[in-house]
Amino acid sequence: MSVLELVANGLIFSSILVLGSIGLSLIYSIANFANFAHGDTMTVGAYSALVTFGAVGGLGGSVLGLPYGFFVALLVGAAMAAVVAIVTEKVVYESLDIGSIGLLITSIGIAFIYRGLIQIGFGADFTRFDIVALRPIEWLIPYGIRVTHHDVAIVISAAVLVGGLHVLLQYTDLGRKMRAMADNPDLARISGIRTKRITLWTWVIGAGLAGAGGVFLGLFNQLAPRMGFNLLLLIFAAVILGGIGSIYGAMLGGFLIGMISQLTPVLEMVGIPIGIEYSNAIAFVIMVVVLLVRPTGIAGEAT
Amino acid sequence: MVDDIKRKLNRRNLIKASGVAGITAFAGCISTSDDDSGDGDGGEGSDGSDSGGDESGPYSIGMVDSLTGSLSAFGERNQRGKDLALGRVNELGINGQDLDIIVEDSGSENQGGISAAQKLVNQDSVPFLIGAVGSGVSIAIYESVIQETDVVQLSQNSTGLNLTDFPGLLRMSPTGRAQSLALANIIADDGYDSVALTYVNNDFGQSLTDAFVDAWDGEIAYNSAHDQEQSSYSSVMSEMNNSGADAWLFITYQAEFTTMVNEAFSSGYEAQFYGADSAQGSGVLEGTPEGSMEGMKITLPSAPIEQENYQAFASAFEEEYGQEPTSWAAYAYDCVINAALAIQAADEFTGAALQETVGRSHDHRASKCRPSRMRMRSSPTAGGPRTSTTRASVARSTSMRMAIRSASYRS
Repeated sequence: MSVLELVANGLIFSSILVLGSIGLSLIYSIANFANFAHGDTMTVGAYSALVTFGAVGGLGGSVLGLPYGFFVALLVGAAMAAVVAIVTEKVVYESLDIGSIGLLITSIGIAFIYRGLIQIGFGADFTRFDIVALRPIEWLIPYGIRVTHHDVAIVISAAVLVGGLHVLLQYTDLGRKMRAMADNPDLARISGIRTKRITLWTWVIGAGLAGAGGVFLGLFNQLAPRMGFNLLLLIFAAVILGGIGSIYGAMLGGFLIGMISQLTPVLEMVGIPIGIEYSNAIAFVIMVVVLLVRPTGIAGEAT
Repeated sequence: MVDDIKRKLNRRNLIKASGVAGITAFAGCISTSDDDSGDGDGGEGSDGSDSGGDESGPYSIGMVDSLTGSLSAFGERNQRGKDLALGRVNELGINGQDLDIIVEDSGSENQGGISAAQKLVNQDSVPFLIGAVGSGVSIAIYESVIQETDVVQLSQNSTGLNLTDFPGLLRMSPTGRAQSLALANIIADDGYDSVALTYVNNDFGQSLTDAFVDAWDGEIAYNSAHDQEQSSYSSVMSEMNNSGADAWLFITYQAEFTTMVNEAFSSGYEAQFYGADSAQGSGVLEGTPEGSMEGMKITLPSAPIEQENYQAFASAFEEEYGQEPTSWAAYAYDCVINAALAIQAADEFTGAALQETVGRSHDHRASKCRPSRMRMRSSPTAGGPRTSTTRASVARSTSMRMAIRSASYRS
């Protein structure tokens, strides 16, 4: 098994983590609390896509082994996640005046609600998208890399979404306002920015990315009510590693955590006898070490 | 400057709060679902009186089941068996009262199981607890909740070998030692002398693997644990492929196994798969590509299918649910019947009295539930698999009783 194969696996897993961690970081820096319901937002997106894909079907052609209907379902999944997040924000978070820790605990309750509703609707058992599984890409096998077209699609789509976010943040009006709000909400409000509206847009984008991440997670692995929650710990580690409040830090953190958790077999290849059941533990140890050296996380305060 | 301090405080608070919240979140990881089965006056049973049911109400016992999580398929099977048994018992009643079973969800995790058991024992004051599915969960419940009390604990589905070390912890299902022996024999008979194995990182996986390693004569090319409920097991599959063995053994649960099969398929790995019973189920068949588990063999503990009372149970089950019963449903059925018989034979409805009638004795290992010790009067549930006969046939020599199924998944 070559290192290249592990790197490829890490790249695919990182893409999903990155989509989750960016959303979380956005919501933290602008809505100003850590959203424990973020993992379950991913689950909401995934199940919405499941329903849509079941209703819409294949829609004729396919690209990279994924039918067009899947991409439609992806958009619907992201949109549903955004809608659910907005509704929660309007109904629950906005009216609470309890500071960021109170909101964090509230979000834990919201997470249970999301998960419970999904379980009521879909049962506790796991399920999959109705997409034919693929064999690895032929011409990559000699290099030791075993990925399917689906994996390539995941990486490309994640790259497109992240690139789109970068363009949004740097070159559009909305992005400028979001960065201003993340930096100093009071000054932003004084200079005429409508903070409530920007907060809503942040929820849309953050939850939408999470929903997309959830759909890809469902494609990569399988759908179960706990799928997002199981990933939440890694996503938080990614956000903290990359630096709280920094979007680009979250991207970097997601990438690093994903790579580390998949590259653990390298340790055994090099002779250090640490088994792969410790891969998560290793990722967290590295996160702690980075925090000790640089307490603000890698990318610290910059947005 | 003020902003910096505000920010710093927020971040410090965030990290503190995340730690607290993380612990709270994981502690609250169970979803309790109260399931009061029984009829009309079922509510009276759980009113916090010292003995959970007296002359005025039904007898309330508790059940910790895996309604969600990795073992939810077993939870479903158990519920079917338990509902059928409960219907039977309440048709005839116990001393004129109904039996009421309060079901709580363990979430297939130790912590969830302990919380569920605590609620049943402390709040509902049940003297008899049927639980749990996962072996680690059963042991955790026993050590944390049951051991200090005189509540009777009877596990419906735990097959881990370590339950035998706890004489107060009874179980209806056979120990997994026989499965491990059978697997070692099957793989050797198929001509492989090298096997790569992976097991789920809990009591069940570890104890069955240890027994397999003891029984296996050939080479073990790869042996590693993996965690439950992870999103990706590609490193495990890569390493198994790298080990060079052609026989791969999976002692793991359905969701995890489905992920592994899919990853093996999409990486183009080919090998002969073997598994313990926990790895099979309809979810696995639906979730994996056609032909990906070609020729896989699993071992499965069997109920005494030749016996008359089992066949009567099986036809009643099929009538009710339209499908054949699994051994697991039969074990859960047995647990309920056993409880009912114990209650009927006891002088009073307390844990201490039930300990006597359920047949616990210091000389016997936990893996044998000994209702033959009980004075069996005319049983109200004559139709179901009598626990004494089931137990006897199971105890006689479980290694011979292994139903070895060659599951060729969609050739």
